[in-house]
Amino acid sequence: MSFFSVQGLTKRFGGLTALDDVSFEVEKGSIFSVIGPNGSGKSTAFNCINGIYKPTAGSIHFQGNKISGLSPSRIARMGLARTFQNIELFASETTVDNLMLGRHQHMSTGLWRGMAMLGRRTWAAREEIENREHVEQVLETLELKAVRNRPVSELPYGTQKRVELGRALAMEPLLLLVDEPTAGMNPEERADIGERLRKLRDDLGLTILLIEHHMQLAIGLADRVLALNFGRPIALGPPDEVQSHPEVVKAYLGDG
Amino acid sequence: MLLQIVASGLSSGSIYALVALALVITYKTTGVPNFAQGEMAMFSAFVAYVLIVDYNVGFVVAFGAALVFAFVLGIGFEGVFLRRTKNPTHLNLIIMTLGFQLALFGLAGWRWGADQRRFPFPVSANEVVHFGNVTVSTLSLATISIALVLMAAVFAFFRFTKLGVAMQATQQDAMAARINGVPARAVVALTFGISSVIGAVAALLTAPLITLDPTLMWDPLLKGFAAAVLGGMNTPIGAVLGGYLLGIVENLFGAYVSVEFKSAVAFLIIVIVLWFRPVGLFGRKPPRKV
Amino acid sequence: MTPRELDHYADVQLLPGKAAIAKLVVLLAVLAVLPFVVPGYRIFTLNYMAVFVIVGLGLSILVGDTGQVSLGHAGFMAIGAYTSVLAMTELGAPFLIALPAAGLVSAFFGFLLGLPALRLDGPYLAIATLGFGLAVTLIIGHGSFFGGHMGLVVPDAYLGPIPLSGDISHYFLIVGIAIVLALAARNLSVTRVGRAFRAIRDSPIAAETMGVDVAYYKTLSFTVSAAFAGIAGSLLALMNGFISPGVFSVTLSLMFLAMVVFGGLGSIAGAVLGSLVMGYVNLRMDAVQEIPIFGPMLQNFSDAYMSPSGLPNVGWVLTGSMIMLTIMFEPRGLYGVWLRIEDGVRWLRRRGASDGPAAGTG
Repeated sequence: MSFFSVQGLTKRFGGLTALDDVSFEVEKGSIFSVIGPNGSGKSTAFNCINGIYKPTAGSIHFQGNKISGLSPSRIARMGLARTFQNIELFASETTVDNLMLGRHQHMSTGLWRGMAMLGRRTWAAREEIENREHVEQVLETLELKAVRNRPVSELPYGTQKRVELGRALAMEPLLLLVDEPTAGMNPEERADIGERLRKLRDDLGLTILLIEHHMQLAIGLADRVLALNFGRPIALGPPDEVQSHPEVVKAYLGDG
Repeated sequence: MLLQIVASGLSSGSIYALVALALVITYKTTGVPNFAQGEMAMFSAFVAYVLIVDYNVGFVVAFGAALVFAFVLGIGFEGVFLRRTKNPTHLNLIIMTLGFQLALFGLAGWRWGADQRRFPFPVSANEVVHFGNVTVSTLSLATISIALVLMAAVFAFFRFTKLGVAMQATQQDAMAARINGVPARAVVALTFGISSVIGAVAALLTAPLITLDPTLMWDPLLKGFAAAVLGGMNTPIGAVLGGYLLGIVENLFGAYVSVEFKSAVAFLIIVIVLWFRPVGLFGRKPPRKV
Repeated sequence: MTPRELDHYADVQLLPGKAAIAKLVVLLAVLAVLPFVVPGYRIFTLNYMAVFVIVGLGLSILVGDTGQVSLGHAGFMAIGAYTSVLAMTELGAPFLIALPAAGLVSAFFGFLLGLPALRLDGPYLAIATLGFGLAVTLIIGHGSFFGGHMGLVVPDAYLGPIPLSGDISHYFLIVGIAIVLALAARNLSVTRVGRAFRAIRDSPIAAETMGVDVAYYKTLSFTVSAAFAGIAGSLLALMNGFISPGVFSVTLSLMFLAMVVFGGLGSIAGAVLGSLVMGYVNLRMDAVQEIPIFGPMLQNFSDAYMSPSGLPNVGWVLTGSMIMLTIMFEPRGLYGVWLRIEDGVRWLRRRGASDGPAAGTG
């Protein structure tokens, strides 16, 4: 059984088919890119994978467990984290509190213990300190220390994207879904994000599933690539093969 | 007996249907239930009352003036207050409508006190008409017919006039409407004006049935909400049907189960519907947006 | 030299320095002396305000943190009040049992009301809670077990051997409980559960994606909030000596919502400030004309243009206008105004500090 696999994934909204019979597998420790023009079903695929949408047909397996049909929070607790194309941060919270949300599943302080935090030796305080240390490391890695205590709504767009990535990393995921991390960025920023993702894979052994509109970045990073058009898979394989696939070329020309 | 109950149900149901329709058309446009709806209507009824009793104005002119007042009040509430909300989340907008409700309630109480005033009306609740075994007061008859005519007019407006169709387009998709050249802001303001007029008509029909005081519309507002939830907050026709259904069910409950807890039926319906079918009997679930 | 270690506890610490401890000591001292320096008949007012603070704390968790609206908190308060009174009269329970029982029973109803809330968006929820509040007073008003419209007389209560009679003993009990609950609410909001609440408010989808069980936390928020209101209801019954359905009207629920909005949604300090102000306003609504200068003016205006008997309604006009103005101009409420003043003072000090040496050398 592979680390992560999708079989025959189909999603319909009313009469509209957003995803049509998509299958692929992702190996542990690899970067897998999903490419395709706007509206080709990439984000729908992500929403099915992390449980926001219930697939119309097909199944999704993660580490041998079937996850399709489970709630997003259950799926998250199994080690799957994601970022969003249109940033979904907790806008009024600070950077550090956003990242602390990523620690939610690794913590256990509930109502009573939380209310009874009466000194640094109490359970809740010890757990806070421990997890804040972990978050601090993520802030360090992503160079977010300077904006640690700023409400995220005040941060520039690119920084918000990094905070969102940080929040996903704070979850210590086994599989990271990154949805258009470079949308709205200039070429230098794009290269920087690409480098960061590669380092995450190399240093932490993270498995990354990446949606990217920019073909160059997606192809450069990925070990394997899936190309979608109008919700249908049109090519699947190593980057150079997919890139030169006639249907992919046609889809991208049509889009551009 | 049963027919008699249904007839009374239709009469109170007409009021609920009007309030529900007023609530739903603004809800569809802004996503916010207007808790000030009842108080805006109550205030309009007081305008008519003052004109008739204090200034000896005729019914037609007084009612007309009250409706014009309601229209201006609706547009003003949207333009002066709702639109100026700094951070227009649903929560903040709901709170705005509650604030307006309290302010209007206080103003009415301050000006007119808590006295229960008899509201003069051309037809009476005591004169009755017989249809076979069924007895209906002329007031009920007027209520039922006025509500029907008004609702038909509103639906015709949204379906057949250019402006109405444009307004509906805005309700469905503000972005699409803007592309088509419909000024969304004007549409929202106009929607509040129309909604306020519908509410005012409900108040003018409620006041002669009971008496006029600042709490006039509290009960009809809750019933209107219950009716809208029952039919579906996103479907004007559903909300209207919900109003009639609530009126009939409530009267059946009052006749066969308990008069004391008759008003609890509305709450019971809200809970049951929200529990089993949150979109209402006639509503459809909107797709989740990410 | 090694860089100073970041102390992560400071992030969530209640009293991060000597100054904060000093402030707290002063506050407690003032609260301890207060009932002996104000005129005796004002202690009742203070107690009433403290009860409002307890409701405000709970409502702030629900509305401010979780972003759920409730127009039925007077209903939870009524359930708490009636539970504790009936526990004492019907079961002969001591007050020490009746008080937590009030919290528990209210919490249970909060849980029940929270269940449909899972599937409901804000607007629907507001309507459901409004209906809930009305249904509670309706049922209480018609049930002979609950004393009907006539209400119930609250029996004498004892805390162990100490009789809880007189405003001063009520004061220390109510204010003491308010302080403990304020501490609990504050701790809750800075730890894991509070973060989950606010995450749900800001982005339910992202919260779910982080592993937050949205259904669980929404229900929890309702339950906790209702428990606070229930305890407040029990204390209100104690200090009032009498309860009736009319006390827990829908307008009281609206008043509760108004006070957390006016104080500032999402901050404990705001909830406390707003509750103190609105508690006072609500109790003294009949005494508008007693306000210095402004009062007689209102009285004259009222006699000339409005109805003299309607003067108490000015309180509603003020309440309504206050929450509208808050939402329009300072959504962080009184607490936001306080933050602005602090910023201003800091700015003045900094200017003073930088001007000082310059003037000295010149």
